[in-house]
Amino acid sequence: MEKIGSFISKLFVVIMAIITLFPFVYMILASLMTFQEATSIPPTLIPSELQFNNYAEALKQAPFGRYFLNTVLVATLSTCGTLITCILSAFALVKLQFKGKGILLIGMAALLMVPYEVTVFTNYQTIAQLGWLNSYQALIVPSLASIFYTFYLKNYLTSIPISYYKAAKVDGCGDLEFIIRILIPLAKPALFTMSILSFISGWNSFLWPILVTNDTKMRLLSNGLSSFATESGTNVQLQMAASALSIVPILIIYLVFRKQIIRGVVRSGVKG
Amino acid sequence: MRKYRAENSPQAWLYLLPSLIIIGVFNLLPLIKTFIMSMQTGKTLNTMTYGGFKNFQIILSDPKFHMAIINTAIYALVVVPLGLVISMAIAITIFDKIRYKAIFESIFFVPYLTSVIAIGIVFRYLFNGDFGFINYVLSWFGVAPINFLNDPDMSITTLIIFGVWSGLAFNIIILLSGLRNIDDNYYKVADMFGATKREQFTRITLPQMIPIITFLMMVNFINAFKVYSQVFSLFNGKPGIADSATTGVFYIFDKFYVDYKYGQGMAAAVVLFLLILLFTFIQNFVLKRISK
Repeated sequence: MEKIGSFISKLFVVIMAIITLFPFVYMILASLMTFQEATSIPPTLIPSELQFNNYAEALKQAPFGRYFLNTVLVATLSTCGTLITCILSAFALVKLQFKGKGILLIGMAALLMVPYEVTVFTNYQTIAQLGWLNSYQALIVPSLASIFYTFYLKNYLTSIPISYYKAAKVDGCGDLEFIIRILIPLAKPALFTMSILSFISGWNSFLWPILVTNDTKMRLLSNGLSSFATESGTNVQLQMAASALSIVPILIIYLVFRKQIIRGVVRSGVKG
Repeated sequence: MRKYRAENSPQAWLYLLPSLIIIGVFNLLPLIKTFIMSMQTGKTLNTMTYGGFKNFQIILSDPKFHMAIINTAIYALVVVPLGLVISMAIAITIFDKIRYKAIFESIFFVPYLTSVIAIGIVFRYLFNGDFGFINYVLSWFGVAPINFLNDPDMSITTLIIFGVWSGLAFNIIILLSGLRNIDDNYYKVADMFGATKREQFTRITLPQMIPIITFLMMVNFINAFKVYSQVFSLFNGKPGIADSATTGVFYIFDKFYVDYKYGQGMAAAVVLFLLILLFTFIQNFVLKRISK
């Protein structure tokens, strides 16, 4: 009886694993099919001839190259900015004592509870008033700091003994020097995880870019992709090629840094 | 005991300044603005005037808003428990019975990282009523083709299937880490006293996992209340056929960005925010009672 139960639960997990992976596999397969194959009844699974020119065709119909560069630029710069501001503020919150620290921490924790979707629309107004619509500033500046990652880094830094800081101080080491020469090397694993996670969430961001950009040149992969999906109509094989362009880079990053990513998400309990 | 203070370092504010400017302008200010704007009316963003609670009256009597809230509630109440039960079954099996744990863990985590928009487009293709793969697989079991995308009665079900699929990844990873943290000795002792697997599950695993399940419920519910991109990509930028899959955030988006009814949109945002807060508190309270 136990054996049957064990078999059934294993089978269940295998089936669920297939269901999890299938959309990705089928996306790649369908992106290499002809239109007839992609819309055949019953569906084709393996294309008879690999149509790599679907990718060329998708790139021709919409400036995915531009979207790609925009996305890389925005995700990279936001990540770098987040790293810098978070290192500075986490340092201050962990190693320094100052008046108002308690209230500040409570305030930040309270802001963390506010759903992104509640503030994103009035942020649009701020950006519009600054005259930043359809600009890189609009895409990058709001994500140059993060309460979430500040707290994440703060938790990590707490494990570095305060005596390190005091010893450095006694030796005449300034705060900035301490940050660069001691704190950053010690916090490397946490900073690394932060950068990957922040880069991926920048890569996948959707609601914000769709609000602040409508110029084709300023689109990111996600909103470029969704408008392409509307414009390309029934050309499913091109839509699959375009989707693959935005998913495959992340899959590659994941394959390389699998362990760090999973550990980072487990530690921080990030969502979205 | 007096807390030891080496010194007071006001220069801390200097290090905090870059973060605080960004957080102030893009986290705190918009929150205040959302509340203010929810009480304003006006045709453009810069000429809004005070209008009292009129916006709230309008949206609270708007059948479309009712539908958005009901849809969001149905989505949350189905996706969260269903997703948790499936993830729990998968996590326990991987933890207990499967040899290649790391491989399965890695596979199940993939959807967490990939763009909802891109994978939503793939799902739209899989769900296609004519040449979609899902109907093809269902036909093996003698199920007649289902109109997943163009039938108002199916929209929410379709959205729920997609929601469960994309939510499993996070749950499984967190549950697995929780299972690993349970002290092995509990099971050794239980085995010694001849406890069955089922007894071990209900007496050891489940009670030990309650804090993690609580955390996941909270995160999942909050996320379910904010469901938006899933709808957008699955129904090609529209809230489903005949608006049948309008959710809370979609309603706000449409009011704000399509209808230019900024005040009403922000009033809806305030209502949604309060609902999320209320729900979080109730859930906290109930779960604390249960665990006592």
